[in-house]
Amino acid sequence: MSSRLEAEQLYKVFGRRPGEAVERLREGADREGLRAEGTTAAVIDASFTVEPGQIFVVMGLSGSGKSTLLRMLNGLLEPTAGHVRFDGQDLTALSDRELRAVRAKKISMVFQHFALFPHRSVLENAAYGLAVQGVAKAERIERATEALELCGLKGWEKSWPDELSGGMQQRVGLARALATDADLLLMDESFSALDPLIRRDMQDQLLQLQQTLKKTIVFITHDLNEAMRLGDRIAVMRDGRIVQIGSAEDILVRPADDYVASFTKDVDRSRVLTASAVMDTDVRGDEADCGCASDCETATPDTPFTELCAMSARSTHPVAVLDEHRKLVGVVPQQRLLGFLGDAEVAHA
Amino acid sequence: MPRIPLGDWVNDTVDWLLDHVSWLFDFLKTVFTGTYDGIDAVLQAPQPLLLAGIFAVIAFWLRGTLAGLLTFAGFAFIDSLELWEDAMTTLSLVLVATIIALVIAVPVGIWAARSNRVSGLVRPVLDFMQTLPAMIYLIPAILFFGTGASAGIVATLIFALAPGVRMTELGIRQVDKELVEAAEAFGTSPRDTLLRVQLPLALPTVMAGVNQVIMLGLSMAAIAGMVGTGGLGGDVNEAIGQLNVGLGSEAGVAIVILAIYLDRMTSALGTQVSPLGRRAAAKARTTQGLRIWSYRPRPQIAVIGVVVLALVAGGMGIFGGTSGEATAVAGSKDVGQGKKISIGYVPWDDGVASTFLWKEILEERGYQVDAKQFDAGPLYTSLASGNADFMTGAWLPTTHEQYWKKYGDKLDDLGAWYDKTSLELSVPSYMKDINSLADLKGKASQFGGNITGIESSAGEMALLKSKVLKAYGLDKEYKVVDSSTPAMLAELKRAYAQKDPIVVTLWSPHWAYNDYDLKKLKDPKGAWGSGDGIHTVARKGFAEENPVVGQWLKGFKLDEKQLTGLEAEINKAGKGKQQDAVRTWLKQHPGLVDKLAPVQKAAAETKRPVNVAWFPWDEDIAVTYLWKNVLEKRGYRLNLKQMDVGPVYTGLASGDLDLNFDAWLPYAQKNYWDKSKDRLADLGTWYEPTSLEVAVPSYVKGVKSYEDLKGKASQFDGKIIGIEPGTGEMNLLKNKVLPGYGLDKEYDVVDGSTPAMLAELKRAYAKKQPVAVVLWSPHWAYSQYGLTKLKDDKKLFGEGNTIRTIANEKFPSQYPQLTKWIKGFHMSEKELGTLESEINSYGQGHEEQAVAAWLKEHPEMVGRMTPS
Repeated sequence: MSSRLEAEQLYKVFGRRPGEAVERLREGADREGLRAEGTTAAVIDASFTVEPGQIFVVMGLSGSGKSTLLRMLNGLLEPTAGHVRFDGQDLTALSDRELRAVRAKKISMVFQHFALFPHRSVLENAAYGLAVQGVAKAERIERATEALELCGLKGWEKSWPDELSGGMQQRVGLARALATDADLLLMDESFSALDPLIRRDMQDQLLQLQQTLKKTIVFITHDLNEAMRLGDRIAVMRDGRIVQIGSAEDILVRPADDYVASFTKDVDRSRVLTASAVMDTDVRGDEADCGCASDCETATPDTPFTELCAMSARSTHPVAVLDEHRKLVGVVPQQRLLGFLGDAEVAHA
Repeated sequence: MPRIPLGDWVNDTVDWLLDHVSWLFDFLKTVFTGTYDGIDAVLQAPQPLLLAGIFAVIAFWLRGTLAGLLTFAGFAFIDSLELWEDAMTTLSLVLVATIIALVIAVPVGIWAARSNRVSGLVRPVLDFMQTLPAMIYLIPAILFFGTGASAGIVATLIFALAPGVRMTELGIRQVDKELVEAAEAFGTSPRDTLLRVQLPLALPTVMAGVNQVIMLGLSMAAIAGMVGTGGLGGDVNEAIGQLNVGLGSEAGVAIVILAIYLDRMTSALGTQVSPLGRRAAAKARTTQGLRIWSYRPRPQIAVIGVVVLALVAGGMGIFGGTSGEATAVAGSKDVGQGKKISIGYVPWDDGVASTFLWKEILEERGYQVDAKQFDAGPLYTSLASGNADFMTGAWLPTTHEQYWKKYGDKLDDLGAWYDKTSLELSVPSYMKDINSLADLKGKASQFGGNITGIESSAGEMALLKSKVLKAYGLDKEYKVVDSSTPAMLAELKRAYAQKDPIVVTLWSPHWAYNDYDLKKLKDPKGAWGSGDGIHTVARKGFAEENPVVGQWLKGFKLDEKQLTGLEAEINKAGKGKQQDAVRTWLKQHPGLVDKLAPVQKAAAETKRPVNVAWFPWDEDIAVTYLWKNVLEKRGYRLNLKQMDVGPVYTGLASGDLDLNFDAWLPYAQKNYWDKSKDRLADLGTWYEPTSLEVAVPSYVKGVKSYEDLKGKASQFDGKIIGIEPGTGEMNLLKNKVLPGYGLDKEYDVVDGSTPAMLAELKRAYAKKQPVAVVLWSPHWAYSQYGLTKLKDDKKLFGEGNTIRTIANEKFPSQYPQLTKWIKGFHMSEKELGTLESEINSYGQGHEEQAVAAWLKEHPEMVGRMTPS
């Protein structure tokens, strides 16, 4: 099994007789019906896999069950039904003690409101996970200092959490999670409580760190822009169910249903879309077939939308999209670009 | 609606608890009084100002210069009010209650914070404890714990526990859920989550709870004065009982000083112990800059300061301590030999006067007397439960009727010493036209329809409401206002000053008749009945145990002139100096002490009671009660006194005791005998042979002699269960036997008591655990259990003792007949064994019946012991 993390038909039901409720959900009962009886189905039949080094974003509005789903991944909540496999190990089958050992060494977590211990210094906070692991003090300090430096907090070790700004506090939270050298990072709306500007910084820093660290990350957010920016793959949740899993473009260009589509309406497409998503693939053949070889602006499938716009402005011709063998894979006419900027429906037409 | 007999159930439960679980209460009492005595001893030891200095240094360290200075001033003020000892007593009480409360509250609070079910269960219990009026459990606490510190601690505990539990629970529940989740997410175990995250963050709230516990404890400690805890609460109680506003406010202010000090120190300690608090304080200091009033020394300096002062205090305590405390009492008059007697009194003037009179008399006769003030109810309760020895202020048969009905069977009435009391309604003499109860009719409007009463529980009030008013047809017209004696007197004082009409419930003798010009309303119909006598009432058995004092009390009489004279003297001297007043008064009445407490002179043999001391050892109980039975048939009177070995020998030597039948000589009690042998007479052996030994149960295989114990310490947990330390056998064992067999490194001899040793033996025997106990023969344990006496091959325990009768040197000349009988007395092992087991089977308190039964089976014994 090559997947780092695999969720298989996870259910979480709160309230009385949860097992029975799961059976009924499997038989097709709906969530509202159960709620009337006082049981809440927070997560229903969630299955997905996360590959090593991937950022897997779970996106959904509040109440969609994404936080509950996340807490089942490290066993803070026990699934009512289903399995969580981490590196092939079934976490749902572990005893409390074994589960704690896994959490201490292999899975760490970053919280929405930072959850820093106010009675410990920044360094002590960053070293917390190591202390739980039982790492010797000298090594603890060394590794925590390293992690803080990685997160750009060098020199703040002796400060106290309440002396730091929100962004810096969350860096401590991140350093605390990174210090343990866990393979899997669970991030629960970790940037939601930050100002938009600082949030962008943090996103950038996370992406930057990810390039060198190659952690496996499950990231929870309610912000689609954030999901699109960070996620290698995105799962959209609604009312406890995963309604779509796919890349940012899949979600944007091929929404699974109206709900997802309405969700994506307000997304700044120019940031997310690339040539491969907007190009017209009907035109096939060699570069020469275009007939305007010298004048044509050319792009690759990965060229961002914004660049395409700039190219399109320089030429009356559609932009040609070439693959790595300089084979023409599609063209992007100007009106198509405009269509994507305006209304998604036009683009589909 | 059927009547639900809740009260009866509670009564039944209390009775059941008293009968069946008294061991638990005894255990708790031991724990409470032990802790209390310890802390109290520490606080009482140093010089007041030194301890004030220690408190000040603590305040200096925790809060700064100003706090330190104020602390010293406050405590010095308490000392100047002469309330130091009481304040320390109260402080000890509160500290003990707080410690115990926290030991209970914090774990319960943690538990409640972790489980909603526990929380739901605990909350109503806490509500119950916090709101149930203190009186309701204060008085029953006496039933279970006796008067004094433990009852007070329990009451305080019940009252003060709740905030400890609540604040702990709240503190832990308040900790940010995300923080707890974060701890869990990093794999922290529940225990570490509690210790590393929840408790540190909850600490400020928990400390606020501690603070509340102490504050409530202090307020309760004042109320607990009612059950004889003494301390400031006792002063308040006494002051209120005597309407002494001055003394009351002094004690009150002292309590407030204690309260403020404890409050500020615990809240400062709260910030000191919690990491967050420390940081906040440090921040505040840096912004404030250095100022002299808030300067605080570093902990090291503070600790050094406290230690130095404590050492000085300890030194002073040792060197300056006990000099000039007990004044020696002339030999022949020293009847009491330092025996402790506790007198309880209700703060009525006749009670105060007679109590302090007897305190003085008994102290002159060599007793150690403790006089404690109570309300009537608690006083009777503590007499009935044996916590106080006697009271001189029992108004019987009317006023205290209800108490007598309830406790009379557990009390002995030693007779009335004053019999001209009366109950009455009184009006100021300026109420011209009201001279008898009948005159009150139709004049209700003048008095606002009110008769100012006293405590609704008083017998006089019951009589007034149920009989007197009806007899004169006043019950429709007048309302009797339930109140308290001090309130009644205050009301009288107020009305008298303004010449307002007032009618009060009063009694004679009462000082109010001296202070104010009052008219006792005539009772032509005799509705009040004949007056009470003021009786002396003792706990059951007191007069038998202390025949001399019993005789004195039975003969106690004062006439009106004497009583009022004494009361006046006491009133003149002011509160707190009652005993000085008594001394002054006694000087004016020479010879009264000898009249009231005559010292017996030697008389014909049977006239004078024989004082026999006995040890609570089975053979001594047997032989002593045997002689008592037999000699009483011959017309002698025997006073039996249970005592320890040391006092018996000194008592015999001084002549205060006449006989002891249980002298283990020549070895076991050698040191006592040698010290006093010049003044003692040996009346010969009545039982032999005896032996001292260590015994093990026979199921312990392979241990037959002391040599066999070697290398087996682990089997016995390295312990030999001993008896009272300092007894000859214990000394012999520790100093000679164990070293002699090379066991002293391996085994510890556990100091304890004979009952404790027997209890341990019983426990171990039931579980078939190995145990080694210090024992001797003859002993009934050998007939009850299969035991092996360890062989003493080296004869280190020495040759066997014989059991002899010893007496004061003058005894043979004073009691020639008795001496002859005792010298000829002998008992066989079988006789002694059967008598002991007879006594054992009858149980404690029925020794006399057991002896009588045994004598029926051994009819020849009386003739053999006392041949005519």
